[in-house]
Amino acid sequence: MRWWLLARLGRAVLAAWGIASLVFLGSRLLPVSPEQLSLRETDDLTYLPDGTQTLAAAQLASRQRLGLAEPVFYWTRLPGPTNQWQWHGPHNQYHHWLGQLLRGSLGTSYRDGQPVTRLLAQALIVSVPLAGGAAVLATGLALGLALYLARAARGKRRAGLRAALAALQMTPVFLVSLALLLLFANPDLLNLMPAAGRAPAAGPLAAAGYWAARAVLPLLSLVLVVLPELTLPLAAALRYELSAGYATTARAKGLPLRRVLRQHALPNAILPLFTILTELLPTLVAGTVVVEVVFALPGSGRLLAEAAATHDYPVVVGGVLLVAAVRLLGLVLADVLYFVVDPRLRPTA
Amino acid sequence: MTHRRRPLAYWLALSWLGLIIVAGLLAPWLPLPYPAATPDLLHISTPPSALHYLGTDPLGRDVLAGLVAGARQLVRLSLPAVGLATALGAAAGGAAGFWGNSRLRLPLAVLPWLLGLAWWQLALPTRPGLTLAFGVGALALTLGSLPRHRPGGRAGGRTFALPLDGLVLGATAMLGAVPRLILLAALAAGPPLSAPLLLGLLALVAWPETARLVRAQMLRVRVLPFLEAARASGLPGWRVWLRHAMPHACQPLYAFAPLTLAGLVGLENTLAFLGIGQSPDVVSWGSQLTTVRQDPAAWWVALGPGLALFCTLLALQQLGRSLATPITSYPKNT
Repeated sequence: MRWWLLARLGRAVLAAWGIASLVFLGSRLLPVSPEQLSLRETDDLTYLPDGTQTLAAAQLASRQRLGLAEPVFYWTRLPGPTNQWQWHGPHNQYHHWLGQLLRGSLGTSYRDGQPVTRLLAQALIVSVPLAGGAAVLATGLALGLALYLARAARGKRRAGLRAALAALQMTPVFLVSLALLLLFANPDLLNLMPAAGRAPAAGPLAAAGYWAARAVLPLLSLVLVVLPELTLPLAAALRYELSAGYATTARAKGLPLRRVLRQHALPNAILPLFTILTELLPTLVAGTVVVEVVFALPGSGRLLAEAAATHDYPVVVGGVLLVAAVRLLGLVLADVLYFVVDPRLRPTA
Repeated sequence: MTHRRRPLAYWLALSWLGLIIVAGLLAPWLPLPYPAATPDLLHISTPPSALHYLGTDPLGRDVLAGLVAGARQLVRLSLPAVGLATALGAAAGGAAGFWGNSRLRLPLAVLPWLLGLAWWQLALPTRPGLTLAFGVGALALTLGSLPRHRPGGRAGGRTFALPLDGLVLGATAMLGAVPRLILLAALAAGPPLSAPLLLGLLALVAWPETARLVRAQMLRVRVLPFLEAARASGLPGWRVWLRHAMPHACQPLYAFAPLTLAGLVGLENTLAFLGIGQSPDVVSWGSQLTTVRQDPAAWWVALGPGLALFCTLLALQQLGRSLATPITSYPKNT
């Protein structure tokens, strides 16, 4: 068991390192380098004196500043007709990035020069409660809905609920959140919820109330997006358990259907919910990206989306690494939970 | 007396998808009054009228032209990406399930030739003497591993096992470590991508799901008696795989490919909505929906592209569901 866990963790670390390296090298091997992009985008606004020399000097200066003057990898291809490969040794960007990573630093942002770890930590204060709250709410709601759906096979209301859940399952997050924004936070339609702007400076209580009101719609979007994936499999599992022999026995004893479902079928049907919950994590993380952009929340998802739109690679790579680490740890945790709950699944030897 | 029929929803879904695909294919020849990407600056955020049939968005672009441009994106980008991802995933997953980690044995002599090819392709430095020695060694290995009949009856030659299963599972685990949207956003964070590059990226993030499905199916199919019969009749392994095992292992893909397509359409429009990886003059449903945030009163901008996207995804789901269930026969009692 211990060796198995170590092997699992080792594989997870390898996968996270691999995907982060892929993104890092992919971002560095672009035809247009980041400093050219940033210069080109400020080009229209700032006054650069004419002449290619000044431009080249500006580019070189920004390369030095961003730490892009060194070669990308341990060996790179030299430009020119010969196309020879050259070995650079440890003086390259990838080596520095890895060394920084092992020391617990993710570099600094291109945009404002702040350490990426600090930026991510500030943003996570918003995102973690959002995603966690959505997961808890959705799980509770899914349990209730699944019990309701499993209580009878037919019925107009249940068919409608099933159809709505199936339609929700296909809808991308941005459609759901945009619909909620336009319906409930629209100055021209129903202006029920604040969706942008600053907290009123009236006091801590008013500010807390304001943020609670602002969190309603983002939470609702995330819950709606993950609800079908939780509810439909659970309802199917409950129906399956109801057809088993012990459920028939319980009904024949005279137990009401509600209690059979809750006390006998649910414990057996709930095990796959662990897997679904870990599978849900990526959906939630991707969902926070979109929801925070739509509702203008200062969370890590919005940080990532803005960093990707403005070519701020250190933030992008750091975010990818963080997400991968969380996701892989979640998978390992799910396995451990499985073994705790169901001893039959433990790996032998 | 029974007769076979599909439910009405299936035909509705099929006709809607057909409409989208035809609109996407015929987009250059449709008599649209306005091009999709050029704004009409005299009419910004105008409601539907005789001038702009479905109104204009807050940037002054015609909504109807944008709808057709979105359909064109679907045909030119998502459909080929799904084809590529499904083919790649089916081949990788099918091979991994069929041969596993130890059953695909290649002659050892393949290795030096591959190494030499890679060396030559990467233009690594060479020395004439070394090259000659390497070539002689490779030739000797090849000659040594040529099949020759031994008294034992088995064709001789040294072989090594290619760990296909481990390779494929490792790749899917690595790509599955990050949500697809975040991986795509990170890889597309550079300058606006060209269409082929974006297509490749979409296929890259979509193939692992198909591969996992086909691999699981192949593990079931591999042990069936008819495959044993095919092997026993002396067919070569790759032929058994391609002609006998793959058609059965790819059976679930008919129902799964529409869902893959739906996922990719959603992903691509989400990226366009976030403004990542595409140049601003490419119009799609997602990029049109972005503009609604600048003018929440323009309901016509949200309704058109939003409904188009929603209906397309629902139709794809219905298609997948109908293809998953065999044609139902109803007793004719009415």
